[in-house]
Amino acid sequence: MKKSILSSVFLLAASILAVDAGAQVIVIANASVKASGVSKDDLKDVFTGNATTLKDGSKVVPVLLKDGPANEEFLKAYVGKGDTAYRAGWRSLVFSGQASMPKSLDDDAAAVAFVAHTPGTIGYIDKASPHEGVKVLDVH
Amino acid sequence: MKKILAGAIALALGAGAHGFAQSLEDLNIQIHGYATQGFLYTTDNNILTTHSSDGSPAWTEAVLNIGAQPIPKLRIAVQGRFFVLGNFGNSITLDWAAADYKADDRFGVRFGKVKTPSGLFNDIQDIDPSYIWSLLPQSIYPINSRNSILAHYGGVAYGTLGEGGKLGKLEYRGWGGERQIGSGDGYLLEQTEEGILAPNGIGGATYGAALHWRTPLSGLMVGASDGRDATWSSKITTGNGALAGTESIAPFNEPNYFALYEKNKVMVAAEYGRLPVSVDLQFTGLPPSYERIDYRNWYAMASYKLTSKLTAGAYDSQQVNHQAVLGPARYSKDWTFSGRYDFSQYLYAKAEEHIIDGTGIGYDTDLNPNGLKPNTKLTILKVGVSF
Repeated sequence: MKKSILSSVFLLAASILAVDAGAQVIVIANASVKASGVSKDDLKDVFTGNATTLKDGSKVVPVLLKDGPANEEFLKAYVGKGDTAYRAGWRSLVFSGQASMPKSLDDDAAAVAFVAHTPGTIGYIDKASPHEGVKVLDVH
Repeated sequence: MKKILAGAIALALGAGAHGFAQSLEDLNIQIHGYATQGFLYTTDNNILTTHSSDGSPAWTEAVLNIGAQPIPKLRIAVQGRFFVLGNFGNSITLDWAAADYKADDRFGVRFGKVKTPSGLFNDIQDIDPSYIWSLLPQSIYPINSRNSILAHYGGVAYGTLGEGGKLGKLEYRGWGGERQIGSGDGYLLEQTEEGILAPNGIGGATYGAALHWRTPLSGLMVGASDGRDATWSSKITTGNGALAGTESIAPFNEPNYFALYEKNKVMVAAEYGRLPVSVDLQFTGLPPSYERIDYRNWYAMASYKLTSKLTAGAYDSQQVNHQAVLGPARYSKDWTFSGRYDFSQYLYAKAEEHIIDGTGIGYDTDLNPNGLKPNTKLTILKVGVSF
């Protein structure tokens, strides 16, 4: 009996850790963005082209990573889609005249450099990557 | 002196080139496109004006989109398309060309030749890379009339109200302008094959509105749209031009009601629409003839992402013309099973099987001279690239 309880606790802990994998990605923004945090709903709306402002009125422009683990993890955790389905959604907006494709950058360093120098931009990188010159938004 | 002059010219050219590159970058010019090639095979009947019962590769599309965003609130873009499906198309046409000014999330306006945002999928029904299906449900999105109902000349106002939370968000679109049904459109196919030609097509004023409520339940959207088309009229001829006359379509509404649930790997959607049309053909010196059409259309669809690259789905799409005489030509019932495999961000393939009961949609008489059988199975294979 104790063994089965113990295994259940381990399984629960493992699943919590698995969910927490989303925390390995951080959301970064240009210093001009007023907000210090962003809700998951706002983040999803901005990165799917459904909104260009956050709840506090900050106008933002999303910046993507071309590929890689941080890109996959961000899309899975905050948009709920894989990379292919996600880009297909943006193509729908582009080919129907509703939006321009967000800028896609090669790696974390390029994303940090672009966000640091471009007012209003918001992006995401691996938590372990250097991110001087940008602010980190708390996702709640 | 020469060295100084050469140095000055080089500096000027360098500065000029840098300025030009900078200005192009400031315009945020983007070029995108996609191309698809389809193959159709039917067990009975030839469908969509192809020789599908022998197997037909006569379905090719290529799209090029060029856009610029000179200032954050203004986008200008144009999209052209080469389209051939059997006897339809085989030409390069302007999908849309528009300027879009978005003041903020609550209000924006685009004008020019713009996509008509009616129904659940109308404004994206031609964008093959964006969905799993090879053919969208033909009861509401008939591909042989796609070019005519996709876009209109005029404008669209749009925006999103609300901040989410307990009430969700309300997206609105309102449109107005003029629609033109081309002479080669599927809507005119039957009368063209009967020898009644409308060389300039037919069209007139159109306007409407759509509401999409993004409900507090994450991933669920419900909505409705209604388009109003004013009296349309066009000159027609028959008997190799011996008789001339006028075709008129009385004002009509096109209501659509729809819902979409999309979350993680699951997509479920349904839509109901009605299209009641009264047509009046009047040739000089002859009594007028009337035809009334009353299409009731609906579909329900679902898809599931089996892996990151493979998606499977199915839909049931039905249309009944309540003004038609009883028989297979009065309706179309289409059970469809689809699969899509994405090799990469840029390359995908689709396979689709349609089990069609009734002959109400997609058939012409020229390619089916011995009449139509009531049931057909249609297999579609398609490959696409996009960038």
